[in-house]
Amino acid sequence: MLKSFKKRSAYLLIALCGVLGIASGGTLAGAEAGPAAYNYSFWGDTAASPAAYQATALINGENLKIGAFKDPSDIQVTANQIYVLDSGNNRVVVLNSQFKLVHIIDSFVREGKKDTFKNPQGLFVTNDKHVYVADTGNLRVVHLNPDDKLAGIIENPKSELLQAGFKFQPVRIAVDKARRIYAMAAGVFDGLMEFSADGTFTSFMGANRVSFSPVDYFWKMVSTKAQRSQMVMFTPTEFTNLDINDEDFIYVTNGQESDNVKKLNAQGNDILRKEGYFPPEGDIRYTPADGPSRIIDIDVADSEIFSILDSKRGRIFTYNGDGYLMYVFGGLGNQMGEFKSPAAIERIGDDFLVLDQALGEITVFQTTDYGRTLNDAVRSYYNGDEERSFQLFQKTINMNANLEFAYDGIGKALLRKGEYAEAMKYFKQSKDQPYYSKAFLLYRKQVLRKYFPALMTTILILAICAFLLKKIRKIKGGKKLVSTQQRAG
Amino acid sequence: MSPLSRELVKYPLYLIVHPFNGFWDLKYERSRKINLLTSVAILFLLILTSIMKNEYSGFLVHLANPDDMNSLLEILYVVVPVLFWCAANWSLTTLMDGEGKFVDIFTSTCFALIPLILVNFPWIWLSNVISLQETSFYHFSGSFAILWCMFLLFVGNMTVHQFTPSKTIGTILLTVVAMGFMAFLCLLFFSLLQQIVAFVSTIYQELVLRS
Repeated sequence: MLKSFKKRSAYLLIALCGVLGIASGGTLAGAEAGPAAYNYSFWGDTAASPAAYQATALINGENLKIGAFKDPSDIQVTANQIYVLDSGNNRVVVLNSQFKLVHIIDSFVREGKKDTFKNPQGLFVTNDKHVYVADTGNLRVVHLNPDDKLAGIIENPKSELLQAGFKFQPVRIAVDKARRIYAMAAGVFDGLMEFSADGTFTSFMGANRVSFSPVDYFWKMVSTKAQRSQMVMFTPTEFTNLDINDEDFIYVTNGQESDNVKKLNAQGNDILRKEGYFPPEGDIRYTPADGPSRIIDIDVADSEIFSILDSKRGRIFTYNGDGYLMYVFGGLGNQMGEFKSPAAIERIGDDFLVLDQALGEITVFQTTDYGRTLNDAVRSYYNGDEERSFQLFQKTINMNANLEFAYDGIGKALLRKGEYAEAMKYFKQSKDQPYYSKAFLLYRKQVLRKYFPALMTTILILAICAFLLKKIRKIKGGKKLVSTQQRAG
Repeated sequence: MSPLSRELVKYPLYLIVHPFNGFWDLKYERSRKINLLTSVAILFLLILTSIMKNEYSGFLVHLANPDDMNSLLEILYVVVPVLFWCAANWSLTTLMDGEGKFVDIFTSTCFALIPLILVNFPWIWLSNVISLQETSFYHFSGSFAILWCMFLLFVGNMTVHQFTPSKTIGTILLTVVAMGFMAFLCLLFFSLLQQIVAFVSTIYQELVLRS
């Protein structure tokens, strides 16, 4: 009996150990799920945040059975098809939304002869599946029909704006709905090259401004001509990438010190809203040795949401249309969800595709519950669905109380509802002074309207009382005076 | 109100609107003990104002990171500049034939700070009931208080040392430079002191761990 009890307790002990082991193992697995997600607070501190995205799949040439990707440099998504520009193999690989191979474009017929790409760097696919390839090695842009027939070619553009002997080396391209082509070419500092639909060069647009410090100016002034000729030329920086949104606004990125994301209007002016706590340029806390983020790709989604890719630390930053940082994910490393040398990002629906150039693979990221809620909240706020965005932002805050701009969304919904005092609290949380002031003015008016009659009545009554009292005193005093006079008399 | 406390409250208010007469009385007519007492009270009120301003000002005029709030430092921010100013001014004016004693300089400086309290104290509460457009009044009155204070400081210095206006301005500018020197020397002194302390404590640790 005693023996069996002992035996049973031993089993119990083993079972208990097992349970404990599973529990601790479970938490360990959770901790290993990827780099910690974060966001920046109003004060510029990193605040922990739940992960908005998780890596779920890897796609590479081997598991598509088409041979490994070699230095792929660009990726495009359109109407449920994914186009991967496999630069090293001079081909475009087309996948469907289930990541199954559809076909490969590696050649086209030009004037009856077979022609191929040579180290192409940029790719753009329009919604009606016209493919544009920046065929960098061949110094041209190739335009293919949906059925892979050649529809046009842009080669050495002619214009008085271009210098003699100009070598057209397109690196990235985008095409708008009117089929105007915007090309980013190597060694061009005047902005994007704009081509009309038939392929003639029309103009440059949206050049970066030259940044020039007073110190440089001073040294230029005091130095001799010979010294000056040895100095660095102050040329505007080149863009690093571009994307175009549904309304044909072009978003460009560049690799300067600051002002690295721009939304260009037709005149080439920057109209990106930067109302967030920090300019939308990736990491704002970094060691001087590491330096700021280097943004090399941008992807514009619906509702003015856009994401940028930092090649220095391999992170993807996503901002809403106002410029508030929504979430950060990714990183450099060897785990799933980390990269070696990320080159391009693209969204397929709400999922992210990140192309790694060195490893030749695509990482697929899918939203977590948190990411989904936040995306929906921002989207419904953008669409003016106040009630829904109010509820969704409430839900996001329950999952991440550090997300300060979400309080702003709630505050604006409350303001619209007329709950001013409550709205003020939320604007205070999100440090939004203009909206706080707006809510406060309405609240003050409300309070005054409520109490002003009572207040005014009291003051008036008191004034009348004081007046009467004075009168009475005067009459009484007068009497006293009279009586003393009488006595004197 | 007892006569003494009336005098304590009334006289500083008289001084800030009639600085020429006020500072003269301060130096030559009034009891030094009461002056010192009032000066300390003014400093204390100024400290109180700056702490409350930091903690209770309206959201629209003052965005404070709760992690950075430190009332002890606020005391230093008030007391250290005043003492620096007095010390620098005293050292300079003894060389430049100023007639003021250190006590005179200290009391006149403290009395000159009254507008800062008088103007800023009510704004701590008012700033909670203003809108963003109305904050310009807040900032205006802040600048006004500072200008007033600077004017009083100027008149006080002039009266205390019996200087001409131009000489006073020169002294004040030199005083600011001297304050810079003093700040530098203090930093140097404290950083050296820190190194010495670190050195001694390291040796002590070595000895304790080896023995």
